[in-house]
Amino acid sequence: MADGTTFKIDGRDVVAKPGQTILQAAMDQDIYIPYLCYYPKMKPQGSCRACMVEVEANGRKMMVASCTTPPMPEAEVTTNSEEVEGLRRNVVELLMSEHPHGCLTCHRIELCGPQDICQRHVTVTDRCTICPKNERCELKDTVRAVELDLRTPLNYHRRDLPIHSDDPFYDRDYNLCIVCSRCVRVCDEVRFDTALTLTSRSGVALVGTSHGTSLLESGCEFCGACVDVCPTGSLTERNYKWEKAVSEVATVCTNCPVGCQMIAEVNKFGKVVRFKADLAGAANNGQACMTGKFGYEYTNDSSRLKRPYVREGGILRKATWDEALEKIKSGLGGRSSEELAVITSPRGSNEDQYVAAKFAKSVLKTANIDSALNADNALLSRLEARLGAGAATNPIWDLENSKSLLVVAGNPTEEQNVLAVPAKKAVREGAKLVVIDSRETELTRYATEWLRPKPGSEALLIAGISRVILDEALEDKEFVGSRLDQAEELKQSLWTFDLAKVSRDTGIEDAQIRRAARIFAESDAGAILLGDDGLTDKAAELVVDASIDLAAITGNLGKASGGIFPLYRGANTLGARDMGATPGENGRDIAEMMSGMTSGDVKAALVMADGVSGYSPTLSSLPAALENLDFLVVSAALDSEITHHANVVLPAATYAEQNSSLTNVERRVQLLRITAEPKHEEKTGWETVAAIANAMGGTGFDYATASDVFTEIAQEVSNYSGLNYERLQSGGIQWPVDSSILFSDEASKVTVVALNYDELANSAESGSLTFAPGRVLSQPERDVVVRKPADMNYVDREQFVQVHPDDAKSAGLNEGDVIQVKTDDGHILARGKAVFDSPQVGLVGATTLFGELATKMHELDVADWTPQMPGLGYSTVTLESAPVEQEAGAAAD
Amino acid sequence: MSTPFEDLQARAAKRWSELTEGESAWIRVGGGTSGQAAGADAVFEAFKSSVESTGVNANVSMVSAMGLMYLEPQVDILMPNGARVYYGNVNADEAKEIVEQHLKEGKPLTDRAYAYSGGDGSGVGNLPELDSMPMVALQKRIATRNFGDTDPHDLLQYVANGGYTALNRALTEMTPEEIVDEVKAAGLRGRGGAAFPAGVKWSFLAPSKAPVKYVLCNCEEGDPGAFNDKGIIENDPHTLVEGLIINGYATRSTHGYVFIRTGHELPIESARKAIAAAYEAGLLGKNILGTDFSFDMEVSLTGDSYVAGEETALMEAIEGKRSTPRFKPPFPAAAGLWQKPTNINNVKTLSYVPEIVRNGSDWFKSIGTETTSGTAIVCLSGHITYPGMYEVPMGMTIREVLEKVGGGVSVGERIKVLQAGGPLNGLLGEDAFDTMIDFDAMSAAGASIGSGGIIVGNETVNVVDLLRSLVAFNQFESCGKCFPCRLGNTHMLEILDRMCQNKAKSADLALLERVGTSMKAGSLCGHGQLGFNPIASALKYFGDEIKSCLAGEIAPGGVFGDGTMILPTRTRP
Ligand SMILES: Cc1cc2nc3c(=O)[nH]c(=O)nc-3n(C[C@H](O)[C@H](O)[C@H](O)COP(=O)(O)O)c2cc1C
Ligand code: SF4
Ligand code: SF4
Ligand code: SF4
Ligand code: FES
Repeated sequence: MADGTTFKIDGRDVVAKPGQTILQAAMDQDIYIPYLCYYPKMKPQGSCRACMVEVEANGRKMMVASCTTPPMPEAEVTTNSEEVEGLRRNVVELLMSEHPHGCLTCHRIELCGPQDICQRHVTVTDRCTICPKNERCELKDTVRAVELDLRTPLNYHRRDLPIHSDDPFYDRDYNLCIVCSRCVRVCDEVRFDTALTLTSRSGVALVGTSHGTSLLESGCEFCGACVDVCPTGSLTERNYKWEKAVSEVATVCTNCPVGCQMIAEVNKFGKVVRFKADLAGAANNGQACMTGKFGYEYTNDSSRLKRPYVREGGILRKATWDEALEKIKSGLGGRSSEELAVITSPRGSNEDQYVAAKFAKSVLKTANIDSALNADNALLSRLEARLGAGAATNPIWDLENSKSLLVVAGNPTEEQNVLAVPAKKAVREGAKLVVIDSRETELTRYATEWLRPKPGSEALLIAGISRVILDEALEDKEFVGSRLDQAEELKQSLWTFDLAKVSRDTGIEDAQIRRAARIFAESDAGAILLGDDGLTDKAAELVVDASIDLAAITGNLGKASGGIFPLYRGANTLGARDMGATPGENGRDIAEMMSGMTSGDVKAALVMADGVSGYSPTLSSLPAALENLDFLVVSAALDSEITHHANVVLPAATYAEQNSSLTNVERRVQLLRITAEPKHEEKTGWETVAAIANAMGGTGFDYATASDVFTEIAQEVSNYSGLNYERLQSGGIQWPVDSSILFSDEASKVTVVALNYDELANSAESGSLTFAPGRVLSQPERDVVVRKPADMNYVDREQFVQVHPDDAKSAGLNEGDVIQVKTDDGHILARGKAVFDSPQVGLVGATTLFGELATKMHELDVADWTPQMPGLGYSTVTLESAPVEQEAGAAAD
Repeated sequence: MSTPFEDLQARAAKRWSELTEGESAWIRVGGGTSGQAAGADAVFEAFKSSVESTGVNANVSMVSAMGLMYLEPQVDILMPNGARVYYGNVNADEAKEIVEQHLKEGKPLTDRAYAYSGGDGSGVGNLPELDSMPMVALQKRIATRNFGDTDPHDLLQYVANGGYTALNRALTEMTPEEIVDEVKAAGLRGRGGAAFPAGVKWSFLAPSKAPVKYVLCNCEEGDPGAFNDKGIIENDPHTLVEGLIINGYATRSTHGYVFIRTGHELPIESARKAIAAAYEAGLLGKNILGTDFSFDMEVSLTGDSYVAGEETALMEAIEGKRSTPRFKPPFPAAAGLWQKPTNINNVKTLSYVPEIVRNGSDWFKSIGTETTSGTAIVCLSGHITYPGMYEVPMGMTIREVLEKVGGGVSVGERIKVLQAGGPLNGLLGEDAFDTMIDFDAMSAAGASIGSGGIIVGNETVNVVDLLRSLVAFNQFESCGKCFPCRLGNTHMLEILDRMCQNKAKSADLALLERVGTSMKAGSLCGHGQLGFNPIASALKYFGDEIKSCLAGEIAPGGVFGDGTMILPTRTRP
């Protein structure tokens, strides 16, 4: 360490890295100094004073808080003198006067159980044995480490506050709070939500929501970061609240392509009883989201499918694997390749995807294979065609240093949550954010410029931005000159993008387009986050083209904190693509499979259904389509609308019951680790497919372990060459190996493409009304009423529907009318008071609160609820007056 | 050609001669919070209407308060012949009579007046000369030099009395380094509590080349019994504004903030007016006095919180956050307000600066003691005959201040206890009254000049009761950020409560000391670190009385003899 500071801790030589405090340097050396308010990866606070040490430097001795004090060169730090220990003990003793501590200071603490007779007459509600964090309490460890006396002469006051257990997912018992403010700080300084705050001052200082409101209205995103950092039983996950874990397993969340590294806490029966974000996770840097933190539980569900079932006489009966395989062999065998389809799970590991692709190709000989969340989507395919990778060009946490961000047609705070965390951090630190989206989302609230174009005109708008950049000579001339292929063609084509025309065809003022262009072009490092929400395949491709051109002319490819990040959905969609689980030549993608099933062209299918839900936004027609099949095999962890029409149901192992690998959006290949062997006859995806393949006479499916499959992957898939499980053990590796940023090689060229005005302008829709629902964490400018009919809180807020005056006129509606937004098939999407502030003709909006969604998800009576999270999908709608008997303001579903 | 400052001086001289040298008399009513609280507004109106109705030739002004609060409302009349007569405790009803007798008839009411100054000494009967009164004679007025003489809202009056010459001199004749050296050489120590040498502090900030640097002035002044910062800003705001501009120039800073606690209405108004006037006169803003130095200044407010006076909490407050202290390092000179290099000084500290620059460091150094040059601006209140604000040279003994300036005990038989320097500082007993007022001597005695407040208690004051009040204040005002102070103050208060209620146990004293020592060693900021001071010093001077409470022999009575002082506590349910 060249510029570190050398000093001594208790006589030991220690070198602190630049910027480190004494505490951090000590922690690196495994020297224990107690601490309560400090938390890794957060700014020090200096509140608890449990970390006091003595420092002697330049002939002066002083007591300092080690968490806030950088070491001085040659300083001698003492952590264990009588004075230091005495001070710490006294400080912790003070803390005990407001925290139940009869047990904390009792020598029977490790022996007592909840029902034991207490020999110290500790009130039942004050006992550690009944505290949910008993086995994992940082406060307890600290109290015991400082060796507090058995009795303290200080008066103990219990706060006697009510416990908040009426909001989704986690409980708050501020009787146990030590006011370390970790929760407040993580929410503010790491998550940027500020849903929590310090309340009051002096002896009654505490934390909570501002004015004690419900979390539903405080702007909470239920990411659980506060729960993860709380050192006491004050904040706890509600489910498995009192479960004692015996081991921790580092694994990966399989709910979205961020691929957060998580620590699964496992009880002695092999149950996963908690999920918490792994501080060491490269993809998530210690963060997670509502679905990741709380959506892991389905693996424990008692309704899990335990053994195979085969349909006989219309009903599914229990069967053996052999019987099931026999049935499958005859059901899938002997069919033409066009009649067959394989749908892989969006959560399925690389091994699952690889074996399924191999099976489709070599055994079924069909090109009809896709992941249920469309691995072949236009966004990724076009990105891959243009950049060589249908993935992010840069690492996720690069975003924290971006100076500008352009987010197009995506809602990362909800769909790829932790990817939005560094983006929000960049914005907090001064980066400018441009959002191109018709919907109001969390990010639009942070946006410097929110461009709300006519749906479908996004690509045109991006091209307009590029045009302004050329007009104002703001492009990165050096990059354009040395690194671009076909730059001249692009420039020529952009001259046809007259800004007045762009402004007319997108519905965005030219001044705003100019401002957005300047923001992006004038910043040092600009990143583009690209979604495809509401875009047709064609429109998505054009958005990709226009975005790559924009990134290229501004020199943001191959640059740290620049780059392009696709916002897609499936956790392992990239793995599926890498493994070839995408439609082959003339093969069908998921949408075409569904239509093929409906039309009768596809007759038999294998569906790997973990994480596939007919209630998910893009798969609503899947259950009906499956109904038409002659033969359906479903491998599933749980019974669902997908298994209902199956001829054979195979029990699937979940994420918790396998070792395997997944590839996240930043091309990071990471390991899922087993927490417990499957209890019954469940098999992993690749085992299931291999068994079917073997039964059907396939060859090359004799893998013993997932690692064997991976060895073959490393041989067959060039980007994975050089990777193996051993190398992946420590946190995952990005492919191609050692290329965390694509195009960083100065010699590499970026090919840009000419853009065609008419093509871009034509992808904008016209004529029909488009409903673009929005959702935000909080709208402080509007009142929220929280209702508590029984045990839970509900948001009960007046709803507004944003309509353009012209559309209202055509529909014969007046401002203030209570109206409803209806799909063609009569489904009511929103109901509320009409307000005439839609910026575009044809655009209808309505913004709900994330709290409403959180309650809904929390209450959903489905074990695996995360695939059912409703996104903010666009629909073609009509408007009408709400029938009078409808109560105005009631939330529609 | 004349310089912009010479132009300003010429206008000022004209204004001053109109007021003091013309045919009109000048009636000055002492204002400020102390004057107004005593009814100065009504007195002022009464004089104005009396002048009108009697038709005498006189200007009537509301001017700054003199600091002799026991005499308020006070009015003085300067006759065209140069004689000035001072009336104290004036009632609005008396205005007419005074105007008629004194102005119209030319006969000062010598039995109503208390002193005179100037003139030839004729026609003032047996009135003493103002400067011969001990509470005036013993003062050495530097920061308060204009008190009682000028209208605080009239920049020209300030300039006419030598104001802004220091700034002009600094900008045109001195380099920033020379000013820092001058302030260092003057031995000016910070008057905000910690007594840190101001010049040395400035020299931390001065070398930084950062494009934006701040100099802050701290007028949180939440200590009970302290009113000198507010007093200076109310009564002579330009002396502070000038000091802060010089501070800005000396440290090459770009912005100044005068931080005043919300609720200090008069100082806020006064500072705002003074800043606006300074902008108008070209003393703030771009190219001050035609030089290439530019500097902006504004007033910043926050909610009322005592700890907001701690320098880093104050910065948080200016930034719009919860006012809680930051940890140090980094120190403000490296990363202060908005993380920019910042200097912060107390109002008094900065108010000395113009006179130091004008008269030189040797002059300042010659006043006061070896280690503490200059003056102390003490605020006397409580059981004292002449409550008020007095600027006395450092080195005077406490006894002199109490007896000669303050006139001794007001009610009761003797002064028993002093609360000196604010609630984080000590209690002093009679044994300490011969201590010199000087930073080092005071701290050796277990107290501090601190904010300059001295609350005087007579023999009826129960020390434990007084301690309880002080600790209750500290407990209520703790920001709650760090554990030792948040919890320690609560426990100290609980123990003192027990003592006051005759329920204390003998072990409570040791407990009090243990909690206090942890606070001292473990707290994040001075509030907690100093929170045990009152008790520690009380143990030194009143140990027996405190111990008697533990033995259940609680003495009757309360603070100031009239029952327990009611102070809010924010304690646990
Ligand atoms: C709890 C607390 C309250 C304080 N209040 C004030 C105050 O009201 N005014 C003040 O000038 N300094 C106050 N200080 C001291 C300031 O932190 C700081 O030291 C001072 O403003 C520096 O000015 P000086 O160097 O001119 O003394 C306070 C300190 C603490 C710990
Ligand atoms: S709730 Fe937990 S994290 Fe938050 S302040 Fe209290 S103890 Fe700390
Ligand atoms: S961001 Fe994605 S990977 Fe991370 S916890 Fe949430 S759903 Fe899981
Ligand atoms: S010592 Fe008291 S006032 Fe200072 S930071 Fe700690 S709690 Fe706040
Ligand atoms: S860990 Fe250092 S003060 Fe809390």
